[in-house]
Amino acid sequence: MIWRGLLLVWIAGWIAAAFLWAPLVPVLGETTRVLYFHIPAAWVTVLALAWSMLHSALYLAKRDLRHDDHAAAAAELGLLFCVVATASGSLWAKAMWGSYWNWDPRETSIFFLLLIYAAYLALRSSIDQEERRARLAAVYSVVAFVAVPFLIFVVPRIYFTLHPDPLINPRGRVDMDPRIRVVFFALLAGFTGLFYWVLGLRVRVARLERRLQSDLEAT
Amino acid sequence: MPIERSSSRAAVWAILRKECRSEWRTRYGLNAALLFALTSLTAVSFAVGRLTDRPDILAALLWVVLLFAALASLSHAFVREVEGRTLTLLRLVAAPTAIAFGKLLFNLLFLITIELVTVPLFLVLMGAPPPRWPAFVAVLATGSVALAAAATVVGAIISQTRGRGALFAGAAFPILLPVLAAAVSGTRAQWSGGAVDGELRLLSAYAVALLAISLLLYDHLWED
Repeated sequence: MIWRGLLLVWIAGWIAAAFLWAPLVPVLGETTRVLYFHIPAAWVTVLALAWSMLHSALYLAKRDLRHDDHAAAAAELGLLFCVVATASGSLWAKAMWGSYWNWDPRETSIFFLLLIYAAYLALRSSIDQEERRARLAAVYSVVAFVAVPFLIFVVPRIYFTLHPDPLINPRGRVDMDPRIRVVFFALLAGFTGLFYWVLGLRVRVARLERRLQSDLEAT
Repeated sequence: MPIERSSSRAAVWAILRKECRSEWRTRYGLNAALLFALTSLTAVSFAVGRLTDRPDILAALLWVVLLFAALASLSHAFVREVEGRTLTLLRLVAAPTAIAFGKLLFNLLFLITIELVTVPLFLVLMGAPPPRWPAFVAVLATGSVALAAAATVVGAIISQTRGRGALFAGAAFPILLPVLAAAVSGTRAQWSGGAVDGELRLLSAYAVALLAISLLLYDHLWED
């Protein structure tokens, strides 16, 4: 597959550029580079959650198990990227703020996403029957979706945060050196591509497993 | 499929009455929940002593006790139906939304009963009466409604899984986190003399959003 190779070269090349070519931000110093990994990972975390919840709602509307495959696979990947974002953010917080964890509103919201993913996957693993698992997991996912805007957008606005403005900020612009911006957006695209590539693989595996299961039952 | 798909007031009222009656016959759910709430309250109070001048810690402790009591008991309403194998019958005679509303009101009543015992005791043990009762009660009330709304829908999901009770706390906690954050902050503001409007708005908006989405979803909850 040519896309896989291109993705590898793209991400590897831009990571090299992040270390060799892009300048450092004065105050942040060496910790500037966390932004090329932390923000794309956080972005994929939110994207995966939205993807999972969208397919959960679609499953409830259409009752097609392929939507459930997408919802489950996106949640699994989302948990992985969420751990990456949390860990890299925590390391950065130790370097900049002096402590690994301080319940800053942004730390609270990423931790909340971690809990949602974990609870969703725990719920899935506790139901044997396929159709019921898909249905109940989708219902839980839609309920959790109501909580997301409250914790991601409302709570950080009410309480004081030290976190630098997130990508989607109230002023709606990105303050960055042009070279940092190029590397950052390239890696954002790279991480997004990585997510969709692995998602496709995971969905295919789920489909094959189901076909195998039904073939076994038929014989 | 229910024969009569009415979610009328009468059906909700009948479900609520049935819940209260079957709870009152055994009272084991209520007794266990009250005992649990008292246990966690005693543990907290015994561990920290009197905290008259620390409203920040008081608010957090109060809501931790209430949250634990809710997590320990509110899945009961649905789990009991599944374990007693009465859910199918219930679904035959009432529409899903009527069942949901009835259970929600019962859970709210249950929570209020627990709070009527726990909260005064907490205030006495900690030696810190709230300076502004209306604000304190308003935060407590909206927080309880949001708590009951979240716990009811998660309880309905959980009752159909293998883990049941064990999974309830884990699955409900992420949904309850906004409630906990806003309620603690509101109660703290009330103790330290700040405004609680923002928290009250947040709590009631969250409760309404949860209620609306769960009413939409109850039709999908029971199908097999």
